[in-house]
Amino acid sequence: MKIEVLEKSDEKIRVHLGGVSRAYANAIRRIALSEVPCMAVDDVVILENSSVMYDELLAHRLGLIPLKTDLSQYVLPENCDCNNPLGCPKCRVLLVLDAEAKDSVKEVVSGDIRSEDGTTVPISPSIPIVKLAPSQKVKVEAYARLGRGKEHAKWRPAAISILTTPTETDTEDDYILEIESVGSLPASEIFVKAVEILNEKLESFTEKARSLSK
Amino acid sequence: METTVAKYDPWPVLKSVLESEGVARQHLNSYNEFIETGLQSIIDEVGGMEIEALGNPYRVKFGQLTLGQPRVVEIDGSISNILPVEARLRNLTYGAPIYLDMVIEERGVPRESQRQHIGDLPVMIKSNKCTLSRLSPEQLIEVGEDANESGGYFIINGSERVVVGLEDLSPNKVLVDKETTGVNLVYKAKIYSSIVGYRAKLEISLKVDGGINVKLPSSPVDLPFVTVLRALGLETDKEIADAVSLLPEIQDELEVSFEKASEAPTPQDALTYIGNRVAHGMPDEFRIRKAESVLDWGLLPHIGKHAEDRFDKAMFIGDAINKLIELKLGWVKPDDKDHYGNKMIKFAGQMIADLFRTAFRNMVRDMKYQLERTGQRRGVNVVGAAIRPGIITDKLNNAIATGNWGRGKVGVTQLLDRTNFLSTTSHLRRIQSPLSRSQPNFEARDLHATHFGRICPTETPEGSNCGLVKNLALSALISVSVPKEEVIGQITELGVVSTREHREDQTAEECKVFVDGWFIGYHKDGAKLAADFRERRRSARIHPHVGISYVAPEVTSASSRAYVYTSSGRVLRPLIIVSEGKPLLTQEMIRKVISGEKRWHELLLEGAIELIDANEEENAYVAISLDSLSADHTHLEIFTPAILGVAGSVIPYPEHNQSPRNTYESAMAKQSLGFSSPTFPLATFVREHLLVYPQAPLVTTRMTNLLKLDERPTGQNCVIAVMSFEGYNIEDAIVMSRSSIERGLSRSFFYRIYESTAKQYLGGMKDTFEIPAAEDNVRGYRGEKYYRLLEPDGVIMHEAVVGGGDVIIGKTSPPRFMEEYREFEVKGPYRRDTSSTVRPSEAGVVDSVFVTESVEGGRMYKVRVRDMRIPEIGDKFASRHGQKGVIGLVVNQEDMPYTEAGIVPDLIINPHAFPSRMTAGQFIESLAGKAAALRGSQVDGTVFKGETPDELRNVLVKHGFSPTGREVMYDGMTGRKYAVDVYIGVVYYQKLHHMVVDKMHARARGQVQMLTKQPTEGRARGGGLRFGEMERDCLIAYGASMVLKDRLLDEADRTELHICENCGLIAYYDSKQHRYICRICGDPSKVSTVVVAYAFKLLLQEMTSLNIAPRVLVKAKV
Repeated sequence: MKIEVLEKSDEKIRVHLGGVSRAYANAIRRIALSEVPCMAVDDVVILENSSVMYDELLAHRLGLIPLKTDLSQYVLPENCDCNNPLGCPKCRVLLVLDAEAKDSVKEVVSGDIRSEDGTTVPISPSIPIVKLAPSQKVKVEAYARLGRGKEHAKWRPAAISILTTPTETDTEDDYILEIESVGSLPASEIFVKAVEILNEKLESFTEKARSLSK
Repeated sequence: METTVAKYDPWPVLKSVLESEGVARQHLNSYNEFIETGLQSIIDEVGGMEIEALGNPYRVKFGQLTLGQPRVVEIDGSISNILPVEARLRNLTYGAPIYLDMVIEERGVPRESQRQHIGDLPVMIKSNKCTLSRLSPEQLIEVGEDANESGGYFIINGSERVVVGLEDLSPNKVLVDKETTGVNLVYKAKIYSSIVGYRAKLEISLKVDGGINVKLPSSPVDLPFVTVLRALGLETDKEIADAVSLLPEIQDELEVSFEKASEAPTPQDALTYIGNRVAHGMPDEFRIRKAESVLDWGLLPHIGKHAEDRFDKAMFIGDAINKLIELKLGWVKPDDKDHYGNKMIKFAGQMIADLFRTAFRNMVRDMKYQLERTGQRRGVNVVGAAIRPGIITDKLNNAIATGNWGRGKVGVTQLLDRTNFLSTTSHLRRIQSPLSRSQPNFEARDLHATHFGRICPTETPEGSNCGLVKNLALSALISVSVPKEEVIGQITELGVVSTREHREDQTAEECKVFVDGWFIGYHKDGAKLAADFRERRRSARIHPHVGISYVAPEVTSASSRAYVYTSSGRVLRPLIIVSEGKPLLTQEMIRKVISGEKRWHELLLEGAIELIDANEEENAYVAISLDSLSADHTHLEIFTPAILGVAGSVIPYPEHNQSPRNTYESAMAKQSLGFSSPTFPLATFVREHLLVYPQAPLVTTRMTNLLKLDERPTGQNCVIAVMSFEGYNIEDAIVMSRSSIERGLSRSFFYRIYESTAKQYLGGMKDTFEIPAAEDNVRGYRGEKYYRLLEPDGVIMHEAVVGGGDVIIGKTSPPRFMEEYREFEVKGPYRRDTSSTVRPSEAGVVDSVFVTESVEGGRMYKVRVRDMRIPEIGDKFASRHGQKGVIGLVVNQEDMPYTEAGIVPDLIINPHAFPSRMTAGQFIESLAGKAAALRGSQVDGTVFKGETPDELRNVLVKHGFSPTGREVMYDGMTGRKYAVDVYIGVVYYQKLHHMVVDKMHARARGQVQMLTKQPTEGRARGGGLRFGEMERDCLIAYGASMVLKDRLLDEADRTELHICENCGLIAYYDSKQHRYICRICGDPSKVSTVVVAYAFKLLLQEMTSLNIAPRVLVKAKV
């Protein structure tokens, strides 16, 4: 078994995997897409919305804004001990968007969002959310939480995850895995987390198998 | 040496045509002509009315007509000017009052005059009478309209109605044809002589025996033509024969006719002869009068209705017979009815003129009746009181609102299609043929050579209306009528000698000259006349819409004719004039058009381009491109892609598709969701859709931009892979990526309007908006939970989430029939619940609530409910190449195939969609879309002129992609590389408005029909699915008799019927006496109960009502 990092940056990681089965390598690829958690807005309380954009659309747009995620700080709501359907400071973050166009047309962007914890912020301040005509106002409370890509695409930390066979080698069990981050997590963290999740799964499977033989 | 020659591309000229004329010019011109001249001429035709009051009759003379501004008269009588927006919102009619000056004359002396309101005329949006026509785009936005509003339709009771263009045979034109009746060959010449609102068909037939007869509309029998010409004033046989032709060969053919007409040798005899036929059995004097009126009014009314026009009529008939004989001699060919030169298109103006004529005459008749009844009282006030403006208003509004034009003409108007911007534009350019769609009419449905540049070759419906419903090509313009007198003056200057001028030296070779089917005179050289005439038109001395065509004889002895047309409704198309192999439209001119210094109309006046109708095009030799231009050419095409219509123009690379695919796409483009209008937040159309993230296509056409479809798009650019996917895209299904959907792909909103008005009833009762209360004795109370979302005013709140059955507008109404008041009744007078509820199968969020007042003065609510539609299995999508399909599977991103670059397609379509359909255009679009995405600019895919596939391949190679468009792909589920490369690219996909949520339906039990007690039909009524005859046949074949009985009887309309065993008629069970009674046989009667279908019971009773006694003979089951 061989792991060689070919390229590494916050946005992208390229890893050469040798001596692993395709099934294993592809599982990492798939988990990077669908199971590595990241933050995204999930519940939106619309306090005021006089823009032309409907509440449900505004909420959808807010959900799609990638948020910087600190996996050490938060847990998935289903793993949280608060047992509160509304969540607790350990499993959700409050984001507030309060924007008003006074005399001229205003474009509300992700930079206008204020975060409760200061770390869970949009990855870029210039993502357009809605355009307001003079005197229109948007005031919302958005609750972000961790989630997984298989639940909704907004929780996919990796924009792209590719498993390819290097052209020069003909050997089986020789792959290149490339993960490109959306920006919420560094690419390397997505990779590591994906491997961890896969291992957890395998371990819990082993547990189960063992319990059968008892 | 290198010379850079700028490409000669006259496209800006065509662009200028559409930009300055707009897409609805044909409707606007037609309507404007009607309100500016047509209305007055209809009034003048009537002139006035004689009132036969006892003792001193007087006359009411009609004078000048004026139209007011569009306005509404409120219930309290106040009048306010309105804009279309208000009419749409308040369900008003956008109409303007018609005022007419009326003068009272006694013994020819005018006494008093007054301007009177005689009715309201619906105003066409953006016509000269419409306020919007004077507004700039910015002002349009300010008043709540789309800046790109094209107009061309009416608003009647709040709904937008288009008068669809009606194709018709050209009037006043001699069309000759061969017909076979049985074994006999008959030559026929038909003329549809028309004046505004009236048309008379004249038929001249040449039978086997050589006799030529004329069939008049008012005469029951055919008349010998010689007699008719004689009655028209041609005394001698020579005069008559010369009127036909000067050639002896032709004159010889007339011998039989002369023999047949020998019994009427003088004009007086001829009149008597006709009188005997048309007014048989009447007094002598009346017969002559009748004959004269037939000749003046019924015969060729387009030439004139007076005695002095008879000579011209005789000359016209003479020429028609000449043409007929030439046909018989084989000198000319039968006329082609499908030639577009023999067609004209009627738009709103002409159609409403027909209507207004009858409405106005009805009103005058009604006025006359009332005035004569009032007798001695007179004066302006009496005249004013006798006017009932409703006669005109109601007739016009009714006809436009329903499309019923009277005399069996239905479907003249249609509800304007607002599905998307393209469908609206296309609807305004639609043409309907009056031919029956149930008959084959093969030739009429075919594409004709003369449709080139006039009618779109691809945009037509499939099925029964195929080829009968057409669409104007982008380059087509519809002529307006030009005063005939001016043109006649011009051709007289050019040497046309009147038919009335008798000349000794006249020869048969001279060219006959017609103006709008009116035989004007002769010219020595028809070709020269046409050339000179065109010269004048090109130098702006004659209106550009006037056309001239010279028909040179194919056989030297046949007569030559030149036709000048000044009429409206001819389809013209602009062409560049070519002189000595050089186009007169120069590069410099094109440059000025691009920079905006010049508009196309100036080029027209300068004689660089001209408008050609289908007849004149027969005299032209048009080069397709500059390269193919030779010295023989007379014209050059401006922009060949403009031969397509609106819907055909948006297809990229259509020249690579099999033609029916383009036709399919033309139909589907009109069903695709998009951004129909920026006015959508306030739109109150019954149903509307909005695509959330519409995109301009990456692969576009120049016309897409011109028609503003880049600003009002109807689809999204999707990454498409062509491959099979787990079998979930067979049979045209498509596989869609779940991530794409979750990120907003093809998300749309559906809006529905619920409307309610409070009405006033006789006796002061009225509807009230309120929350119906259970304790208030309200009939039809639905239950508290259905009213939970209503606010105290009875109307639902904003943003409320509603489901099927929820009340949106709470309303109660008084009882339908006032019952006799019973003093001691416990319950007081009840009210009915007439609330509006959400449709049973729909749901959504209350989007907006409009409160306003109807014309009747009642409060009116319009509530708009929106529903977000996220693509799901079963929703329909289509590319722009007639490739449609429904979603078969939604796949998670990690399971989707990916390319080496990590691209995951949005959509996967099956390769089987291509071989048989041959939509190569879609392949090229896919390639072009990919190239456009890579280089970051749109690709031009205009027909014949687009960027070539080779150019696109170079772009792909430059960006490191394979020129084939194929890529290595991996299976997302296994990570395995596919054995073959996959064709992947970017294709513009449209979401069509057929969505599963609107269609899916099942029923276990539910409503039944009142009459038959059988389950209802249709989803809206929660109906059952029909177990039809073929299904029944299956059960019979299986021998599954109990299943059969279950479906057809037990679960349908099973009833128990009591039959008297004695008489076999229906008995009944009296539950008070606990016994069965037969009313026929009386008491001692044995009644047995049988199980039958309720429909059968109904049949028995219906037969009984027809005095038939159907008896059911009952026997005990052994």
